[in-house]
Amino acid sequence: MATVACEGKTPREINAEIKRLSTAGEAKITVTDPGARHNLGVAVLQPSLIRFEGSVGYYCAGMIDGPTIEVSGSAGWGLAESMKDGHVVVEGHAGNGAAAAIRGGTVVIHGDAAARLGVATKGGLILVGGNCGYMAGFMGQQGTLIVCGDTGEAFGDSMYETVCFVGGEIKELGNDAVVEEPNADEQAFLTTTLKTHLPEKNVKAFKKVVAGRKMWNFDKQERALWREAL
Amino acid sequence: MSERDTRDGRLIQASGTFSPAAIEDIQVKAELGRYRIRGFGTLRERKWATFDDLTFIPCSLTRIPLEGYRERCSTRTVLGGKQVENPIELEIPIMITGMSWGALSYNAKVALAKGANIVGSSNTTGDGGMLQAEREYSRHLIYEVLPSRYGIDIHHLRQADGIELTLGQGAKPGTGGLLLDAKVLDAVAQQRNLPIGVDQRSPARHPDFLGPDDMIIKIEELREATDWKVPIFVKMGATRVFDDVRLAAKAGADVIVVDGMEGGTGASAEICQEHTGIPTLAAVCEARAALEDIGMYGEVKLIIAGGIRNGVDAAKAMALGADAIYIGTAALMALNCNKPLFVEDYHALGTEPYHCHHCHTGQCPVGITTQDPDLMKRLDIEEGAERVANLLQAMTSEIQILARACGKADVHDLEPEDLRALNAEASMICGIPLAGTDRIWGGGPGWKDRD
Repeated sequence: MATVACEGKTPREINAEIKRLSTAGEAKITVTDPGARHNLGVAVLQPSLIRFEGSVGYYCAGMIDGPTIEVSGSAGWGLAESMKDGHVVVEGHAGNGAAAAIRGGTVVIHGDAAARLGVATKGGLILVGGNCGYMAGFMGQQGTLIVCGDTGEAFGDSMYETVCFVGGEIKELGNDAVVEEPNADEQAFLTTTLKTHLPEKNVKAFKKVVAGRKMWNFDKQERALWREAL
Repeated sequence: MSERDTRDGRLIQASGTFSPAAIEDIQVKAELGRYRIRGFGTLRERKWATFDDLTFIPCSLTRIPLEGYRERCSTRTVLGGKQVENPIELEIPIMITGMSWGALSYNAKVALAKGANIVGSSNTTGDGGMLQAEREYSRHLIYEVLPSRYGIDIHHLRQADGIELTLGQGAKPGTGGLLLDAKVLDAVAQQRNLPIGVDQRSPARHPDFLGPDDMIIKIEELREATDWKVPIFVKMGATRVFDDVRLAAKAGADVIVVDGMEGGTGASAEICQEHTGIPTLAAVCEARAALEDIGMYGEVKLIIAGGIRNGVDAAKAMALGADAIYIGTAALMALNCNKPLFVEDYHALGTEPYHCHHCHTGQCPVGITTQDPDLMKRLDIEEGAERVANLLQAMTSEIQILARACGKADVHDLEPEDLRALNAEASMICGIPLAGTDRIWGGGPGWKDRD
């Protein structure tokens, strides 16, 4: 195991050290005192385990492909944005735009996620132990979004094929978002997934939210829907 | 516009307000139930000041021209700030702007890449990610990061020679992309992670930053992702250019791209193309004034785009402050856009050669803005590439001949003093004296009083 101490270093210096260790095949890298610096662990492309002991700023784990990144504190905006593959765990909360546009991998946020969680996802799995803010899942294309707590307004707005599950209250559905009952396979998937990633959570029943598909192609008969969306 | 005619001895007059075009527009929308969508860019008659309202004043006695056939006039163009290891070094100042694979056919994208490469220029990816062939054939490839993040792949991004963070485009600033169902077919849908046949609407805002303060951090993230090696461009549609350019420069952009309202698009609401943004002429003047205002003119490079048709437009934009020029629509025309070939297919779309703006339909008669394999075959990649290269070379030659005539050994030495305005509006906008006078109309220079 290797340690990178952040004190007195710029994000560029810290990232260079992380990438050097990761490329050299270091299996576990602990990063101490990140001090909520931005852009830590960006574009790491090797399968190391990188643990940040503390909170991180914007874009931590952005555009990664392969590593496991753990944050013992909270994360700023754009956590793991555009991640291709990997596993990201935040033990605290996450700011706006967490897991935006991810293509694959898993993002687990034990606390709450702020607005615009999982916008424009292309794949992957997002789990939030707490609540999420406004417009989560907006224009989600593929992938799965699980929120154990409550959602904010405009949940699942204008989605394509992202599938969402909500354990708490949905404050307001977004345009073209519809609620369905999870089927048996999905129930089993939820049970297994929670057991694996958020074992402390005990959610009795999830609501499933998907696109109503009325906005995939324009239909002039859907006046009210399109008045909001166009 | 009112129309008058005499029939049977009677005068008939159309309404100036409800002109035939306005009536037709109302009746089309009464059927459609939504705004009209089309491609191409603005079709409006150009009543605003344009590059045509400026003229060069080459050398006579007060300045000495260069010999066109013997004296060198450099066109080498370097884009990249002090912060990057590998600035982009082009042989010419005309570059190919970002146009998506999806909006354009595979053949068109590859022909553009190859054509740009032949003359030492650059190509840009677009909304939808990078084609491997684009990378293979582009010596200089700029990788666009757009709000939709379609096709974004860290491994592709790290292969790029420059990263362009796109905030908007001139034809439709403030709105997201649009790709209608006829183009969201197998491979395009797969690359964008979309269901086949949807009308793809893209977000207008980036998912992970909102304002200029956040963008500072976003730009640093892109630098981290590319090991601080390549320049970061910020592209914007021309709206509040003076403020937006200052913010982008302060946010750390190496290169700022300003795309004027004459810019093209594959598809968007017609009203956006016709009624949003400011003209490219005004945009370049505001952009230069902005960079001068914060002491970063020359340090942050400026690319101008939007309706650039030829080397004259490009040379005027460069004299006003641009370091390089993006072309899009003109490059497509080099690929035969609007050429009178397959005329019956233009007719099937309800249009004619030289009048076609039906890029959104996916039925491009000449194989450029289509995903139909049969139509795409009409665009031969090698021949198209040669024509793109020829156009880029011809435009560059036009800039050179004007620069030499103005006594410049480098096209980048063209300056506002080499120009005169042909009317008061152009004088006011550009801060250039009206021809025949020594005064700048409107109390210029530039877009506003500097006192």
